Amino acid sequence: MTDKNWITAIFLFLLFLFLSGNAYTASLKVQCSDCHDSERFKTGFKNSVHGNTGCTSCHKSFESLDKHIILKEIPGLISCGTCHGEIEKQYRSSFHSLYEDFKCHDCHYDIHTLKPEKGNFKIAVTKNCTKCHTNDEYALSGHGAAVIKGNKDTATCSDCHGLHDTKAYHTSSETNLLEAREFYNKTCKACHSNKEMMVRNNISPNAVKYYEETYHGKVQDLGYPTSVAGCADCHTNHNILPKSNPASTIHPRNLTQNCGKCHPGIHPRFAEYKAHPDYRDKDRYPQLYVSFLLMAGLLLVTFVFFWTHMLLWWRKVYWERHVMEELGIKLENPFTHKEGIQRIRRFSVTDRVMHVLLIISFFGLVITGFPLKYHSTPWAGAIIRALGGAHNAGFYHRIAALILIGLFLYTLWRCFRFAFPKGFRKEGWRGFFARLFGPDSLMPNAQDWRQFKAMVKWFFGKGKPPTFGRWTYWEKFDFLAVFWGMIAIGGSGVTLWAPELASHVYPGWVLNIASIVHSEEALLAALFIFTVHFFNTHLIPSKFPMDTIIFTGSYNLEELWRFRTPEYERLLKEGKLNDLKVKHPSITLKIVASMFGHASLWMGLLFTLILLWTFFFA
Amino acid sequence: MVISLMEVKNAAVIDTMSYLECMDHRIPGSHCIALEELDKRLPASFPNKSQPVIFYCESDRCPRAGLAYEKAKLLGYENIYVLEDGLVAWKRVGYEVETIQRVKRAPVISIKSAKLEVLIEEKKDLFILDIRPEDAYKASHIDGAKNIPFYMLHKRLNEIPKNAPVIVIDENGKRSFLACCYLINNGVKDVTRLFGGMESMGHKEKKKG
Repeated sequence: MTDKNWITAIFLFLLFLFLSGNAYTASLKVQCSDCHDSERFKTGFKNSVHGNTGCTSCHKSFESLDKHIILKEIPGLISCGTCHGEIEKQYRSSFHSLYEDFKCHDCHYDIHTLKPEKGNFKIAVTKNCTKCHTNDEYALSGHGAAVIKGNKDTATCSDCHGLHDTKAYHTSSETNLLEAREFYNKTCKACHSNKEMMVRNNISPNAVKYYEETYHGKVQDLGYPTSVAGCADCHTNHNILPKSNPASTIHPRNLTQNCGKCHPGIHPRFAEYKAHPDYRDKDRYPQLYVSFLLMAGLLLVTFVFFWTHMLLWWRKVYWERHVMEELGIKLENPFTHKEGIQRIRRFSVTDRVMHVLLIISFFGLVITGFPLKYHSTPWAGAIIRALGGAHNAGFYHRIAALILIGLFLYTLWRCFRFAFPKGFRKEGWRGFFARLFGPDSLMPNAQDWRQFKAMVKWFFGKGKPPTFGRWTYWEKFDFLAVFWGMIAIGGSGVTLWAPELASHVYPGWVLNIASIVHSEEALLAALFIFTVHFFNTHLIPSKFPMDTIIFTGSYNLEELWRFRTPEYERLLKEGKLNDLKVKHPSITLKIVASMFGHASLWMGLLFTLILLWTFFFA
Repeated sequence: MVISLMEVKNAAVIDTMSYLECMDHRIPGSHCIALEELDKRLPASFPNKSQPVIFYCESDRCPRAGLAYEKAKLLGYENIYVLEDGLVAWKRVGYEVETIQRVKRAPVISIKSAKLEVLIEEKKDLFILDIRPEDAYKASHIDGAKNIPFYMLHKRLNEIPKNAPVIVIDENGKRSFLACCYLINNGVKDVTRLFGGMESMGHKEKKKG
């Protein structure tokens, strides 16, 4: 206010007092601009966004204007929230309000001359924020630089951080890892899932989808981002530059160091890992494409073959039973009742303990592993939460894997002892092939092929059912499939367990292949066990609902004679039958066997239903 | 709890931040006694050791109120409280804060630790202002840095050159902004702050002394 105006104001005021003897009344039309007459208030304010409101719309807390005129009353702080209520509400819980005690005018610099931002809002936001947030990376990053160039798709500060609701935690992955990763994963995905926008800007439209197919993406999607890399861990928060830019963290030269932040001790070839590949793209990722195709083919062939076998077998057994019941035919045997119920040992205690451990480890692996494979389903989240988080699930998965690896190694040792009962030094190769293809061996031989052909003929009513020795061809397949499975699933699992170490052996893209193999082989194993193995051993009408022999270890002489006649005859001939006669299993063993068996069986079947639901409905 | 202690038991609510921060924003009716001055000023202002005292900090990440608790305990105060999560908690519930003398906010350039070396190299007359408490400064500091703790800044303003470039360094980057604004408002022309403060420096560039 100029001195001249002051004098005028005081003169007017004194004149008024003199004339009326009263204090100021509203009847006197004094304009604020009479005193506040600078350009800023006179024209600047009139042309501002608030120009259509009067001064007292904001400066309300006057008791008396006359006191104000003689500077005895200074108006209190104004509240922008009176009009901008919703914004104020958001702002009060924002970082700038809670931690920095910013007021509206600290960003909206001159509130009296504030004008609406014409043109590009994103540029205005970037310019305003970078007045304080001045690190080069804010303005020079891929996004910031694109904003300044006028790209309307790209993210300005407020697109990620909010405008008045900037988050009240420090979005630094160094201090608030969980919040930071949740925050930027969400914000990055919000735009990068928009395919049209990505195509428009020449960016991969499916990067988010493919990221979610990787281990990082799956664990993150399950809700546990602290232990896996999110978007910003590789691409950084602000200095997000394309791969071709040498300053980019994902430039091939910087990639090893970038991966090494979380994976210490890696070989440079670790960086050949594909962070979000499309394994269906045979041109860009031929190794992954072929791996996926091979695994898909393996699953298809295995299930088409065994499910057909299963259905044909079930039909034949069921139909034969029906005919026998209809005609009143009862099966006969050459034994007296007492002889028939004599128990014959089929599995040793070691076999049984091994199978129990196998079941436990197998379910352990399935329960802790499949939620990762089907991470976006509601059941996956529920299981992982029940296990106490993805890190716990991973821990249990590894424990179960160790049990399985232990069993596998012990089985290898037993195979060796079977092939060379007195050790290789004493025994040499003598008798090796006889044992390998003999009746006690699980190695497939010509007899199995003949039995298979006979079985198929029997399915179609063209012959009698074959009789089996100690091991049937499907039992041999079950056993040998574990060998293949262990190499595929175990090898890939160990690789994924120690990716840093693995990088010293093979390049990073092998981790991608390992992920595909581990995942698909797991599906093959689980579905095979829960459908084919369960059918062959438990659900076939002659054994339905369950055969507990793997837990009790023995069966009746009559059963041995009926289903494995050549084996019965061999044991009789070799005089071994008497040695295999054992007592009837105790009631305790039977109850435990039945409970454990049923629990496993029904759990497996339930899991199959969940998988089927997932395939068709999730 | 704070309000009932203030009203019923005449508790003294004490802002342990610097004078400038406290005058800028504080719980209404609270007293500005910086942690560093607590030993002298607390007994002088509140001689009755049985009077409840409530200490608070700027935020939930500040240890000053907890340290003030320890000091007050040694001074013999009997009823000591610490406002959990500090002023931020107060604001979160929706309570107002009081401003006695606001430090007008100004745009402040910040640089990350990696660029500090470049800045030191480029600007030969760079004035490195370390606003951390004396003991933190003594434990380790950047070579050539001058220590004027934040609670003394308003008293020792004349020690800061107005025409030379100044970089302000605090503990973790949370306090230097306001200090910079204060310097700008008082005529210091070229003011920068170190993003992340001393914590972002690691150990290699610090100097014991």
